[in-house]
Amino acid sequence: MVLVLALGDMHIPHRAPDIPAKFKSMLVPGKIQHIICTGNLCIKEVHDYLKTLCPDLHITRGEYDEDSRYPETKTLTIGQFKLGLCHGHQVIPWGDLDSLAMLQRQLDVDILVTGHTHQFTAYKHEGGVVINPGSATGAYSSITYDVNPSFVLMDIDALRVVVYVYELIDGEVKVDKIDFKKTSTSVPAL
Amino acid sequence: MAKKRVPDWLNSPLWSSPSEQHRFSSAVPEPPEQPPSPPPLTIKQDPPSIQHSRTNHNHNHNAIAIATSSSSSSASTSSADENSHSRQAQSQANLLAELSRKVIDMRELRRIASQGIPDVSGLRSTVWKIFLGYLPPDRGLWSSELAKKRSQYKRFKQEILINPSEITRRMCNSGNYDADEVKCETRGILSRSQITHGEHPLSLGKTSIWNQFFQDTDIIEQIDRDVKRTHPDMPFFCGDSQLAKSNQEALKNILIIFAKLNPGIRYVQGMNEVLAPLFYVFKNDPDEENAAFSEADTFFCFVELLSGFRDNFCQQLDNSIVGIRSTITRLSQLLKEHDEELWRHLEVMTKVNPQFYAFRWITLLLTQDFSFVDILRIWDTLISDPDGPQETLLRVCCAMLILVRRRLLAGDFTSNLKLLQSYPPTNISHLLHVANKLRVQPV
Repeated sequence: MVLVLALGDMHIPHRAPDIPAKFKSMLVPGKIQHIICTGNLCIKEVHDYLKTLCPDLHITRGEYDEDSRYPETKTLTIGQFKLGLCHGHQVIPWGDLDSLAMLQRQLDVDILVTGHTHQFTAYKHEGGVVINPGSATGAYSSITYDVNPSFVLMDIDALRVVVYVYELIDGEVKVDKIDFKKTSTSVPAL
Repeated sequence: MAKKRVPDWLNSPLWSSPSEQHRFSSAVPEPPEQPPSPPPLTIKQDPPSIQHSRTNHNHNHNAIAIATSSSSSSASTSSADENSHSRQAQSQANLLAELSRKVIDMRELRRIASQGIPDVSGLRSTVWKIFLGYLPPDRGLWSSELAKKRSQYKRFKQEILINPSEITRRMCNSGNYDADEVKCETRGILSRSQITHGEHPLSLGKTSIWNQFFQDTDIIEQIDRDVKRTHPDMPFFCGDSQLAKSNQEALKNILIIFAKLNPGIRYVQGMNEVLAPLFYVFKNDPDEENAAFSEADTFFCFVELLSGFRDNFCQQLDNSIVGIRSTITRLSQLLKEHDEELWRHLEVMTKVNPQFYAFRWITLLLTQDFSFVDILRIWDTLISDPDGPQETLLRVCCAMLILVRRRLLAGDFTSNLKLLQSYPPTNISHLLHVANKLRVQPV
């Protein structure tokens, strides 16, 4: 039972002052084992804050990040799943399922986490699952101003993943979940 | 003011050559004024006389045969080894006889067992289970009781040692969960579904299973750390072997379930030490079925053993009448009654507060102060004594003090404290004999 937090596109301080208070009250240290961040934090203070939540932090570089040392893509293995991480501005058209599937095949991962569109989406295709946690602060994106703050928490338990989606809609936190399983072959059966 | 004299029996030559002859005298403990040990030669007369008086009880002719053969062998030599062998054989025979009866006479069993249970054929395991209330005196009920308790433990494990992911999965499965056979799309948007009962991992609600799970994790971590440190010198408990790991797992499970079922005291450091000898004895039972279910048996016996001592672990009760402080005071009083000179020297002159040494003796039931084999022997007496473990423990502690009185009387604060905090190895049967004597000492 491993809890993985996926979030990104905070754009602090340029487009948003901070992560919403209701999210912050839920994110306490000690519960989460890994954090994967799609990018665009943008400053070191956000990095430090995420580090206090969990020591195992993975970040990829977004186009506005001030720390240029983050990698473009990252892969990691958690339990039986291979996760891939990329900010997403490199993949054109932005947010297009086919292009992201191409990236997923390149990285050879089961779950690909990307951002940049600031909209939560979860797609599946033959190669695996693509998750976009959206923007944790609700910052406006290059495409739209209408953004709800959101992030994703994945509960990885052997061959099963439960994805909890946390969104802040009209000042209230709404939680949904998505279930999927992986069969013993490398392709997730969905 | 007349100083209370040290009683004669304390100064007797008994201490220089410990002997167990008195054990074969009548069931009533002899008054302390009697002269010390009868010479060893009389041992060959004693067993037959006992057999006569107990033939009514003891229908097992084999026991008499063993006893007379052992007594005749002991007549040929009078070494202490032979005596203890024959004593062991005798007590083993007695125990087997008692245990083979349909309904066990508890008083008789207690009497035999408090002299030590031989380490053969799972006797100790069975006898401890009887005294800790796990097995009823009526042997016919044993199998049904065992089955009941063992299945209860299995249920505890399933309900309590479960992580929240499992629980949510079960809650979903009870609903209309057909996502296994998915609507055969191979690509597209994954459908979102509602969460059940507002349960999500970051929930801060008091009734949330996730929240409770995270609150329990620090106790579980503590238990884990302590279990790994239990008896590091014994390969049974510590090391990289499969056996050690599975034993540690069992100890952890027992302690976690105990902590969850008893929110009042949860887990306190030291409970792992009290648990270890119980588990060791039950797991090493030659009977395979018993050894397989040792975890369940140990759990219930642990609960029973701790029930008398729970108040010692509860911090709020520390200063109350039932708490650890008052128990230590009682020990102090007991010492004062039996050996005022020593008491005065310890507490008044050298100011060794009994809390410094007795706290560990009492809360951990002496597991940290003796070797493992000695602990098992002491626990035989503790568990089987009709006075109950708490009272017996106090007498044993008092005896421990009295046995080293010469060194204590000659020492100052530092040396006394050092001596008591690392108690020197001593002859255990001797120690228990003194403890037994303290029972009949008039006030």
